[in-house]
Amino acid sequence: MSCKCTRREFLARATATAAGAAIYASPAGTLLAQTGQPSSRVAIGRDDALTSGRVGDQRELLCRLLDASMQKLTNASDPTAAWRTLFGPEDRIGIKVNTLGLSTQPAVAEAIAVGLTKAGIPAENILIWDRFDVEMASAGYKINKSTRGVQCRGTDAEQIGAGYESRIEGSGQIGSCFSQIVARETEKLICVPVLKDHNLAGVSLGMKNFYGAIHNPNKYHDHNCDPYIVDVVSHRYIRDKWCLTVCDATGAQVHAGPGRHPGFAWPFGGLIVSTDVVAADAVAASLLEEERQARGLKALAEEGRPTKHITTAATRGLGVADLNRIERIEV
Amino acid sequence: MDRLDNLFFKPTRRDILRFGTACGAAAAICPLYDAFAQDVAGTGALEGPELRGVIRHEAMFWERLEDKKVKCVLCPRECEVADVERGYCGVRENQGGEYQTLVYGALCSANVDPIEKKPLFHYQPGTTAFSIATAGCNIECKFCQNWQISQFRPEQVKSVEITPERLVGACRARGSPTIAYTYSEPVIFYEYMHDVAALARENGIGSVMISNGYIQEKPLRQLCRQLTGVKVDLKAFTEKFYSDVCAGKLKPVLDALEVFKDTGIWLELVVLIIPTLNDSEKEVEDMSKWVVSHLGPDVPMHFTRFHPTYRVTNLPRTPVSTLERCREIAMNAGVHYAYAGNVRMHPGENTYCHSCQNELIRRMGFRIQFNRIENGACPKCGTKIPGVWSQGEALAFKPREKAAGPPPEAQPNPS
Repeated sequence: MSCKCTRREFLARATATAAGAAIYASPAGTLLAQTGQPSSRVAIGRDDALTSGRVGDQRELLCRLLDASMQKLTNASDPTAAWRTLFGPEDRIGIKVNTLGLSTQPAVAEAIAVGLTKAGIPAENILIWDRFDVEMASAGYKINKSTRGVQCRGTDAEQIGAGYESRIEGSGQIGSCFSQIVARETEKLICVPVLKDHNLAGVSLGMKNFYGAIHNPNKYHDHNCDPYIVDVVSHRYIRDKWCLTVCDATGAQVHAGPGRHPGFAWPFGGLIVSTDVVAADAVAASLLEEERQARGLKALAEEGRPTKHITTAATRGLGVADLNRIERIEV
Repeated sequence: MDRLDNLFFKPTRRDILRFGTACGAAAAICPLYDAFAQDVAGTGALEGPELRGVIRHEAMFWERLEDKKVKCVLCPRECEVADVERGYCGVRENQGGEYQTLVYGALCSANVDPIEKKPLFHYQPGTTAFSIATAGCNIECKFCQNWQISQFRPEQVKSVEITPERLVGACRARGSPTIAYTYSEPVIFYEYMHDVAALARENGIGSVMISNGYIQEKPLRQLCRQLTGVKVDLKAFTEKFYSDVCAGKLKPVLDALEVFKDTGIWLELVVLIIPTLNDSEKEVEDMSKWVVSHLGPDVPMHFTRFHPTYRVTNLPRTPVSTLERCREIAMNAGVHYAYAGNVRMHPGENTYCHSCQNELIRRMGFRIQFNRIENGACPKCGTKIPGVWSQGEALAFKPREKAAGPPPEAQPNPS
């Protein structure tokens, strides 16, 4: 077969093919590759049983909700197939929880680990992690540094200061030492933030949660944390590995975050799940804004803390922030 | 004779022999010099169990805000910090609406250094300073030489817990007349520095703060009641540099320098000269003129050599000729004592009487070869040499209190 095209057309096609291959190869492109849909999808699973009582008593419900969300997102025939669209048995997977202030429920992280093991990932290949052992323990996580079972520990677990890369990595305007967990111990990342307000960034969701992967997050809170949050998640350690967000919205908080403030608690009773890490944050932020409005609270932007980083992330091509281009799937 | 003539060497045979001997000695000392220059991390001067977790101690200088938030008013950054969050410095944390310091007595560095290493050239030359630091800093200089401690949080740096009493005792045992709060940024461990300095004074020990000068007036004046000397790193003389390279602002530093001047405490300035970033002749001239007009000609200025490090690794070391030119500009602007620093055995590291150019102190690295100052004056012409030349003089220092403003009725009407 002869190719009758101009040199310019040939170059344009080659570039498009390469770009397509790059998208399909990246974790974030997995859904796009499977569904062929240009827009993003976010699954919102809710159950009244999660709005009262202890979330820890609802492990089975959380697993069912999560499996159903994964199936809806991936159009897979069963939960195992759904998990396998994103994760393989050789993958070492980091589950980044948030244990600062209002924390990710351990039961939510466990539900994710259950889903992964059902898909054939060895438990030892799964690591639930955050910054410090002490913070994780106080949030109810059982630290496990043994070689058996799902691992659970902070970046600082082994020795003071030893859990971070010794080299400063530049990314946009930030310069940080990254946790060795993202730098070398894992190939895939699942981010499990809490649906909560943040006094500077507006919201503390999936992207903000990765401030816990660098040694110096305190340096990057000016200007509503923008563009610093996006600089952090744009680094290859995270950008190339982060393939799923499971936002813990079992017990959310609409104001005065990120610390726990019972007066602003919001029993949302659900999970917000997406493979588009920006879309997950955009939808979660919009839900939080709606609840703030319903409670007579000012919009985040009016309070001087707009969620600029979500827009910046979309501008940089990390995902979709335009709610009109995001399909919300109720589970 | 032009005082700059001291820089030019016209050797006799005797000079050449002396120079050769000095070179041999320098070669032997160089490894030690480098060790001093690099070795800030570690608490070799103090034994103690490694600290796990953080120490919590009530912070000074903060205000309560709504929803359990607090506002820190220690440094010009004025961080508004939500519950469970930390300020920019990474060592002050809001816990349930109470602001706490996490580094009270959490020392990550403790060394006995020559006072010349700070550098303080007019403060008891040839003595040692028991030098300490905790983790943390309230700015982020992209050329920070001690970033492994200044840009980390307390949990990320190996530290030992040392009470003020134990620290002062250790300093006495080592025979150091001075405690230096240095290496990282002492402003962020203000509470500890304040308490140690007060106790040190009671025990006949002075205290010098080696700082970026990024501190508000009220805490600064309170601190000066305990200190006996200060060295400030004036990073540059443009807001752009402070903003782009240090994540800070110039104006608050200049304000702090004027407060130091107002209190009368002994003050020296260091300017790290970085090729292409802050080495323009105009900037150095503007800075020097400001120093002379606002602080006076007797505040020594040290122009020191940059070495690539941390996030500035794409620039070369500062040429010695640039430091010489900076020194020349400063002296032409009226600065009486300008030095070239981080350059081994350079004549610009020596002290010359500003009146008769008599060589008063000769330095080799951090060591003193001779000190001819007698009773705080030049032995040749009798000119008083500004500085703190004895421990008695250091401990006698009491800051001038802030001049009272005009009575309310005399204040101009803002409308």
